[in-house]
Amino acid sequence: MTSKSSTDYQRGAWAFLGPGAALVVIVLYLPVIYTLVLSFTRYGGLADPVFVGGANYVEMFADPAFLGSLVNTAIWVVGTLIIPVGIGLLIAYLSFGLRWAGILRIPFLIPYALSGVAVGVLFGFVLQNGGALSQALAFFGLPGSDTRWLQESPLNTVVMILAASWQGIGVNALLFTVGLQSIPKEPLEAARIDGASGFTLFRTMVWPLLRPSTTIVVGLSIVNSLKTFDIVQAMTQGGPNRVSETLGVTMYKDTFVNSDYGLGSAVAIFLSVITVAASVIYLRRQLSIGNGSDAGRITAEVSS
Amino acid sequence: MISRVVRTVILAVLGLIWLVPIYLLLANAGKSVADYSGDALWEPGSIGALFANVGEVFTGTDVPSGLAATALYALVAPAIAVVLGAAIGFAVIVLRVKHGFFWFFVIFCGTVFPLQMMVLPWFDVYARIGLFDTQGGMLLIYSVVATPFSAFVMRNFFSGISESVFEAAVVDGAGVWRIFTRIYLPMSASALAVVFILQATWVWNDLLLSLILTQSPETRPVMPLLNALQSVEGGGPGYTVILTAALIVSIPTALLFLFTQRFFQRGLALGQY
Repeated sequence: MTSKSSTDYQRGAWAFLGPGAALVVIVLYLPVIYTLVLSFTRYGGLADPVFVGGANYVEMFADPAFLGSLVNTAIWVVGTLIIPVGIGLLIAYLSFGLRWAGILRIPFLIPYALSGVAVGVLFGFVLQNGGALSQALAFFGLPGSDTRWLQESPLNTVVMILAASWQGIGVNALLFTVGLQSIPKEPLEAARIDGASGFTLFRTMVWPLLRPSTTIVVGLSIVNSLKTFDIVQAMTQGGPNRVSETLGVTMYKDTFVNSDYGLGSAVAIFLSVITVAASVIYLRRQLSIGNGSDAGRITAEVSS
Repeated sequence: MISRVVRTVILAVLGLIWLVPIYLLLANAGKSVADYSGDALWEPGSIGALFANVGEVFTGTDVPSGLAATALYALVAPAIAVVLGAAIGFAVIVLRVKHGFFWFFVIFCGTVFPLQMMVLPWFDVYARIGLFDTQGGMLLIYSVVATPFSAFVMRNFFSGISESVFEAAVVDGAGVWRIFTRIYLPMSASALAVVFILQATWVWNDLLLSLILTQSPETRPVMPLLNALQSVEGGGPGYTVILTAALIVSIPTALLFLFTQRFFQRGLALGQY
């Protein structure tokens, strides 16, 4: 009976695969090609696109707004690697094995339920001139109460990274917790018996064994920070004078505010190239099933 | 080894710091416009004023229509993506379609590009074919953007189901369609739920696509509306209404997260296959 193998169902299979594959190709891949083509044209949506060669790319690399945006995006990448990944790991490690670990982690997960816009609204309120943060600093007699948090660059980028970190740390802590739970107990016990403890134990044993989770969290942080849009758009809209833009915001501004589709497309291409390069880090791991990368389950979602 | 007590204390203190912005959100969403003082932002609010502000959000802003549009997108699009993704996983793993991995790879890589790479063509083409600023247009894009992740999870899930399940069903005379809808879909309810929950959260929170592809009240979801409230209401006392709106739009995703943690955990466990 088993002679009728699955290969007999090719036509049926295409009825299942076809719709999804066709939609993905038409809705996701064709636009990528269209954007690539537009990046070599001058186009504002009304008249037909005019081929201009690499002029948009030349203009882009001479544009102070783009160059500033590039620096800001780099700060976002480094900042979200140090703060949310670092503190996320710290929270996972400190809470691991504690009796009330689940409850202790809840405060860090609550901000995850907020959207990027809601976080931006909230922190825009907290960080306004003379706002809650300034009042708290003044109350405790600390310096900085007259700081204009969102007006000066690169300070505005830094505080927005802190706002994003406040939101994102819980998920990182969750991913690291899953990673810690999957570390085999025996080598840790052996190291402990050999006298390793505290930071030494972490550095020599836990950190190497945690590598699958670290790869995913780090890859995810890089990719997500490259695509930063919501929080910046909600808090400063890239301003004042475009000094706090990220590449995602610059693309939006050039295209939909300044109606320069060609330049906007060139920025989109640039952003895509570095994002795809960064994605390769964790996609390879994500695609290798049964490799213990159970954290990959929610990574694609968070990145989408 | 740092003692358990010290670790607990560190985490508790850090956790309290983490809750401070939430306190400020609740405290100032709970102040009436009259009571609001720019000098007393740390003072607690009151429940009565919070309810008054909720009333103001529902009567004085576009948030109600935005919530309706958002709810539509966040419920329907992930459902479509779940079915499309399950069908892809079924074709690749169970029916072993030729070059299945290649097709799966092509579909999965649809998530690699940032949305900024596609949003201008969507806007341009939608404006030409009349899908700009329509609910159908938004549903199509949200569904397709969510499909690769769905296919990824469902492929992993199906590869953990024994082949004998399919063979037994064939022996019993069931057709492929029937096997998919009556056996494989019900078996994968938990994986489907995980995908649905995560993608619904993403659609709910989206700003980029909704900002660019919608403009009228019937189609515009709540996130761009919330963002626009900041300039509509201005600073100062207007913040009481804006913060209340931020609170309201966050409640559905917060509840979803709270009540489906079980599925999150199960979703994480799926990776063991």
